[in-house]
Amino acid sequence: MGYLQGFAVTFKKLTEDRVTTEYPEQKRPKADRLHGRHVLNRYEDGMEKCIGCELCAGVCPANCIYVRGKDNPDGDPVSPGERYGFIYEINYLRCIHCDMCVEACPTEAITESKLFEFSFTNRADAIYTKNELLVDDDGMPQHLPWEDWRPGEDEMTSGWMRATASSGNAAYEGKVAWSGELGYGVRAPEIGQSQDAPPADTSDSGAH
Amino acid sequence: MTDTQPETEASVTIVVDGQEVAARPGELLIDACERAGTYIPRFCYHERMKPVGMCRMCLVEVDTGRGMGLQPSCMIPVAEGMTVDTQSEITKKAQDGILEFLLINHPLDCPVCDKGGECPLQDQTMAYGPGESRFVEEKRHYEKPIPISDTVFLDRERCILCDRCTRFAKEVAGDPLIHFQGRGNQTEVNTFPDEPFSSYFSGNTVQICPVGALTAKPYRFKARPWDLEETESTSVADAVGSRITVQSSRNQVLRYMGVDSDPVNWGWLSDKERFSFEAFNSDERITEPMARSGGDLEPVSWGAAIAAVGDALKNTDPSRLGIIGGARLTNESQFAFTKLAKGVLGTDNVDAQLGDGLPAELVLGLPRATIDQACAPGGTIILMGPDPKETLGALFLRLKHAAVEDGATIIEVTPHRTGLGQYAAHHLHPLPGETAALAAALVAETPALDTAGVSADAITAARAAIAGDGPVTVILGRASVAESAAVIADAALSLTSIPGVRFLSALSRSNVHGALDMGMSPGLLPGRSTLASGTANWPNTPSTAGMSTAQMLQAAADGSLDTILLLGADPISDFPDTDLAERALANATVIAVDLFETASTDHADAILPAAAPQEADGSFTNLEGRVTKISRKVTPPGTARPDWIIAAELAMAAGGDLGIESLDDVWAQIAAVSPAHAGIDTASLDANQRDGVVVEGTLDLPAASGVSPAVADAYAYRLVVSRRMYDAGTILANSPSSAHLASGTALHLHPVDFDALGLDRGAEVTVSSATGSVSLPVEPSGDVPRGVAAVPANQGDIVVGTLIAVGDVATNVRVERGDS
Repeated sequence: MGYLQGFAVTFKKLTEDRVTTEYPEQKRPKADRLHGRHVLNRYEDGMEKCIGCELCAGVCPANCIYVRGKDNPDGDPVSPGERYGFIYEINYLRCIHCDMCVEACPTEAITESKLFEFSFTNRADAIYTKNELLVDDDGMPQHLPWEDWRPGEDEMTSGWMRATASSGNAAYEGKVAWSGELGYGVRAPEIGQSQDAPPADTSDSGAH
Repeated sequence: MTDTQPETEASVTIVVDGQEVAARPGELLIDACERAGTYIPRFCYHERMKPVGMCRMCLVEVDTGRGMGLQPSCMIPVAEGMTVDTQSEITKKAQDGILEFLLINHPLDCPVCDKGGECPLQDQTMAYGPGESRFVEEKRHYEKPIPISDTVFLDRERCILCDRCTRFAKEVAGDPLIHFQGRGNQTEVNTFPDEPFSSYFSGNTVQICPVGALTAKPYRFKARPWDLEETESTSVADAVGSRITVQSSRNQVLRYMGVDSDPVNWGWLSDKERFSFEAFNSDERITEPMARSGGDLEPVSWGAAIAAVGDALKNTDPSRLGIIGGARLTNESQFAFTKLAKGVLGTDNVDAQLGDGLPAELVLGLPRATIDQACAPGGTIILMGPDPKETLGALFLRLKHAAVEDGATIIEVTPHRTGLGQYAAHHLHPLPGETAALAAALVAETPALDTAGVSADAITAARAAIAGDGPVTVILGRASVAESAAVIADAALSLTSIPGVRFLSALSRSNVHGALDMGMSPGLLPGRSTLASGTANWPNTPSTAGMSTAQMLQAAADGSLDTILLLGADPISDFPDTDLAERALANATVIAVDLFETASTDHADAILPAAAPQEADGSFTNLEGRVTKISRKVTPPGTARPDWIIAAELAMAAGGDLGIESLDDVWAQIAAVSPAHAGIDTASLDANQRDGVVVEGTLDLPAASGVSPAVADAYAYRLVVSRRMYDAGTILANSPSSAHLASGTALHLHPVDFDALGLDRGAEVTVSSATGSVSLPVEPSGDVPRGVAAVPANQGDIVVGTLIAVGDVATNVRVERGDS
């Protein structure tokens, strides 16, 4: 009669809540710190945050970032200061989404969204350039045809900033907070993060 | 300064961090510690400049017998029994404090700064700094980068006032055009109002700046240090052969940096050397072979081009075939082309010099000096050649140092005052064409008489300097292309009677000395040997000496030379007689192997694109005869290929075989024919990267020709046409940051002669010689003696070559008001 016990398991499970979803029609909420496709941020005045310093490219363990800087054009600067990111490319065939570039960025220009559902049919599409990576005027990531964005998914593209001191001292215990995020402000601190993080509506234009 | 100190056995013992260390007497503590393996951080101290103790970063605790105390280690020489503690608490506190102070006003804009990643301030802050600053006050602000010259930007916010650039400009280059201004917190480095930092050596300040205050325009925001790859190589911009590192990113060369080669350039470069890479990156490079079809140059395949050129060479009678140029090639390529001409095609009409050099037998026959021998302390240097500041920048810095710091006596024997003039003890300015007479007077035993426009007193004083204890070196070259080489040759032969005299050739065109060593001159074979004495066992070696460039061009103009092969040469711009070059190239079948299209390649029937020095391995022979390695860093554009491969393929197409498939093959063949190059091969050049190998060996000297110039009428001036650092040469013209720096052609006259014309500064005058006449603006100049009319060569605006008839001993010109 042992096989009846087997059927009992089956019938019992029929009445329980399901743990699977009808993906991709339904999606489960993503983790707050999921590392997805990058975005290049802007300040509120529309200036690009990227200054073309190549620190992201230098730190990238997969060598998937290619950046070149250039003098800001006279009278029509692209970014604050002398230099801007003239070329910015990420090769998603190589990127391992480790977020080292986000930590290295001195201006919080590059952060990662939570989007991982994107695929390509050729190599050229896999290499995102500034045209694809830059946020729009409202600070929202661009929704490219081969990417599966759902409402609300472009929220929380900010990165966790200042894990260490600028001097490299790992024991640094200063303020830790999320970088500002156009359109959504600043995320509330998580447990363990500094409790006196900047208020949600702070301007992030002083970051440079 | 360590470089001038003799290597002595004597030493003093000091104690560095508890370890006994042997130091050289008189050595600075900072150097002694570094040699012993203890690096003391520093910003202002530079081993090739005098210490000033400006930055205080090198403070260490030193006991000189009066107890431990903080002292700047760059300012105290070592002494017996000195005790140093570079790790003590007090030393560390001093380092912390100095760095915190230096960063009070430093903007910390490292992410946008070109120096970020290779910055001594950044590195030493990380290694020795306090980590955090207590200063929260607003920093000092200045206008972000201001151009202080055509190639250098100054960012005063980043400056830490270390005095390196200002000391370099004043002490090393002798162009004190930047200086500290203001006091206290407002002290800044800047140029004088309306006077840019227009030094030929300005790029060195960028290299030695310990922060990002001085940055170079050609490199600005091009890359960051961590995406650069580098290889050590040799500069080919002039004949000094300065050692450089070639730095590239993504298969594009982005900058050259000077490398401290003790016998050659001491780490310094002229801006021409430093920024010449721009030309090799130029979009104007020829990227594929071209052949003329129906009047236009059309791209063709290499196979077709090599076959066509090979046919043309094979089907020309050897006596009606000429090869001009080759000074821009590597030694290996020069050997390959010499073998092609003299071993396969059977012509001796090969000349790497363009009528503006010296007879090859003379250069190879005179006892050679190295730069170190020429700059020996207490020596006497006779400058009988071009202005080294204009043509051989890194050599100029060495000569200046010898005169100012090491007590060398400079005797200027030039047609007018040179950039070295202010450091010279004696100024003899013979009339052009009469230099040989002056040289004879300098070595004569009889009482001096006024000679060649130089007073007897000046000659007597110079004789005394030559007779002094120190070694005598002659810097020998052509100061003016309007004076014939025979005059300088005769003068040099007179000077050989000075006991122990040595000669340093001042021929300036790139690897011209390699070309002479490889036999690219009529009558010569590789290895400093002649057609008669050479041991090359080649099938078709001609037995009689061929034609020089001047003779070849004359023959082509007359119709007795049919085919000219140009090897990186532009006779229309560089041959003294522009007219003759034009007629010759228009008359002959011209085949060019070159990087760029030039005035001369406009006449070409086929062009073969060659690889630039940074795109092919090889070696270089500098003016001392020092062979150093040229290293490949990037790939050539298009299908351009190294010259020696082109030579080998042309030999095949012409029915011969050079037997060369690699650089090792070339060196094996050179070793077989040239005892002078024995022991040199790719392996030994790799082993002696930095200092290279000096080639020894001489030829028999030619006999003096005894020329004297045509007597001029009392109204005539003697023309001087001299080269400048910046001109319309092919490399400079294709370098965006140097192309506009040519000064432009103007006639320079002594102020009294200028006043006699009764014209305003810059007014047009007509200068006419026996062969032509040109209109030029006229300027007074205190550097030019009376009776001399000085003009810069090849400035790209006005062609002065039409005034010169090549072979004339001197060129007499008349200067008349432009309206006549």
